[in-house]
Amino acid sequence: MAAEDEGDRTKRHAGFVPYALLSPGMIWLILFFLVPLATLLKTSLSSKPSRFVPDVEFGWETSNYTDALSTYSEQFIRSFVYAGAATLLCVAIGYPVAYVIATRGGRFKNVLLGLVVVPFFTSFLIRTLSWQAVLSDNGPAVSFLDRLHLMGVLDGLGIAENGRLLATHAAVIGGLTYNFLPFMILPIYVSLEKIDLRLTEAAKDLYSNGWQAFRSVVLPLSLPGVFAGSLLTFIPAAGDFINAALLGSPNNSMIGSVVQNRFLEQGDTPTAAALSFILMAIITVGTLIYARLLGTEDLV
Amino acid sequence: MTSDRSPRIRPQRLASPLLTRRAMLGRMGALTGAGLLGPSLLAACGGDDSGGSSNPTGGGGGDSKALWFENWPAYIDEETVALFTAASGLDFKYTEGFNDNASWFAKNQALLAEKKPIGPDIVAPTYWMTGRLISLGWVQELPLDKIPNAANLVPALQKPDWDPTGKFSLPYQSGMTGIAYNISVTGRELTSFADIYDPAFKGKVGMLTEWRDTVGLTMLLLGEDPAKATIDSAAEALDKIEEAANSGQIRQFTGNDYMDDLASGNFAACVGWSGDISQLALDNPDVRFVIPEEGGMQWSDTMVLPAGAENVDNAAAWMDYIYDPENAALITEYVGYNSPVAGVQEILAAGDDLQKALSESRLLFPDDDTLSRLHVFASLDEEAEAAFEERFATIIGA
Repeated sequence: MAAEDEGDRTKRHAGFVPYALLSPGMIWLILFFLVPLATLLKTSLSSKPSRFVPDVEFGWETSNYTDALSTYSEQFIRSFVYAGAATLLCVAIGYPVAYVIATRGGRFKNVLLGLVVVPFFTSFLIRTLSWQAVLSDNGPAVSFLDRLHLMGVLDGLGIAENGRLLATHAAVIGGLTYNFLPFMILPIYVSLEKIDLRLTEAAKDLYSNGWQAFRSVVLPLSLPGVFAGSLLTFIPAAGDFINAALLGSPNNSMIGSVVQNRFLEQGDTPTAAALSFILMAIITVGTLIYARLLGTEDLV
Repeated sequence: MTSDRSPRIRPQRLASPLLTRRAMLGRMGALTGAGLLGPSLLAACGGDDSGGSSNPTGGGGGDSKALWFENWPAYIDEETVALFTAASGLDFKYTEGFNDNASWFAKNQALLAEKKPIGPDIVAPTYWMTGRLISLGWVQELPLDKIPNAANLVPALQKPDWDPTGKFSLPYQSGMTGIAYNISVTGRELTSFADIYDPAFKGKVGMLTEWRDTVGLTMLLLGEDPAKATIDSAAEALDKIEEAANSGQIRQFTGNDYMDDLASGNFAACVGWSGDISQLALDNPDVRFVIPEEGGMQWSDTMVLPAGAENVDNAAAWMDYIYDPENAALITEYVGYNSPVAGVQEILAAGDDLQKALSESRLLFPDDDTLSRLHVFASLDEEAEAAFEERFATIIGA
């Protein structure tokens, strides 16, 4: 403790230089994050006398929050379920990919990483619309599965509905998984890449088999990557509305669709702001709990 | 996107720039596949980037040669734009950023309220939005004395409900809303709006996020008059739509993107716009359009001058130009909607074979019997409109 205090004191003596270096970032953060956040908070507690006129009147309207929560609890729950499912799928698909690239990639590492990223040079919208074509009722996916007599099985599993893949839960979750996969692969790759492979050799010297070495050495060391990846996947996925709009039905809409509709269609800025704040709050709390469970606070 | 979703997003009339056969023959070489695809995809998602974010000073104060018309996507032929630019000598900027009435309004209302220029000198809101802008005082009177051709406006659209004095707006195009269906999927002709609710088409039915159309047609099915709609008289219709959405009868609520779903067979039937189908049917004869026997809806997109618009005289020159029946006929050939300009049908009838065929199209020139079965949705005050929007938003899950 004493040593730390002393360290602090020396730092303080270093004068204003650190603060000067920090200031561009701090000013940026204040101007473009904290100030808008405060405005958003104020809007979320306001009422809007006319939806045709942009002005809002501040008045501690906490009912915006309670109304939003009770009206849209369904969409909130659905957003988190979809985003959670997509994140799990991303880990399941992304971890092996990252592992293979990091450990077996050899001189092709960069090429393989490039292949992960290249499809994402295309616009997000175009990629999602392409899934519409692939999954459409008379499209290649349905006719292929039909020929294998698998559509009935998928119907039974609740993945397909009435013999269609599009406008289902599965299509929306699949779209989210596809669109956010690189954000899972890249952080996991980075954390795997950092691991000193001599550690696994050491584990094997201590009589562990391949699985045990992975389980007790590689996996724990790569958890920060999984943690970062799941945040980068889950948070944008929870707020997404494009996948639900293009690949889902009215019964698959997410909270992003509601915010978009309230804000841009109905001009109801207070409710839209309240919904955004609720989303932020839930994600923040969720992230903190997740960090504690995974015990990665000091690793990140 | 939305609503006209979007994603829906969203919201857009005639996003898919399919060309009429004539236009196709004439301009085939000029348009690449990619060029055709781009605007359609963007519009289909309600991803309007040029719509509201226009530079407020872009209109160019005092520049007497400037004119900017912001219209819906694929709602004109390139020839008309080029011909007018040459004839008028103006620096004419034509953009397609008007994708969605509600989003456009949400983005521009701050500037409109202060009567500052929003960029475009002319915009193309749908009739109900025009009514809202007029009642808010956010549009200026047209210099009708400089638009002599405005006399060619068809009688049915003179001093309409949304513009009772007729001084603030001129219709750009009108159209009909009815049932669009793909007969290769339905296996039979459709005649009644009840067919949309036929359980045989469960999960294969689309409806428009443009709720005046969707609710209006359902009201007609239930024997209510959409021209006198109130939230109470529409309650039964709204319940029916909600039930169909929850049961999975309705696959999606869409904007203009319904055209792709209809052509590919994802939709057996949906609520659709006449002009879209008259274009789509040229490429895909299975796609058909019918005004339900209970009646159909009618709408107009209009041209208005936002309160801050600066190049008013140039705007008048443009309006005068396209209200000349010869010039209007060229637009009709391309867009396939109902022209508000009298004399277009006669000009097409005197033209070549393709034009003659268009002049006989019931979709472009509906007969009196059809016209008598069309309804315009009631003008709503702010409170009533809010009630409809809120209810409809919960139905579409947003």
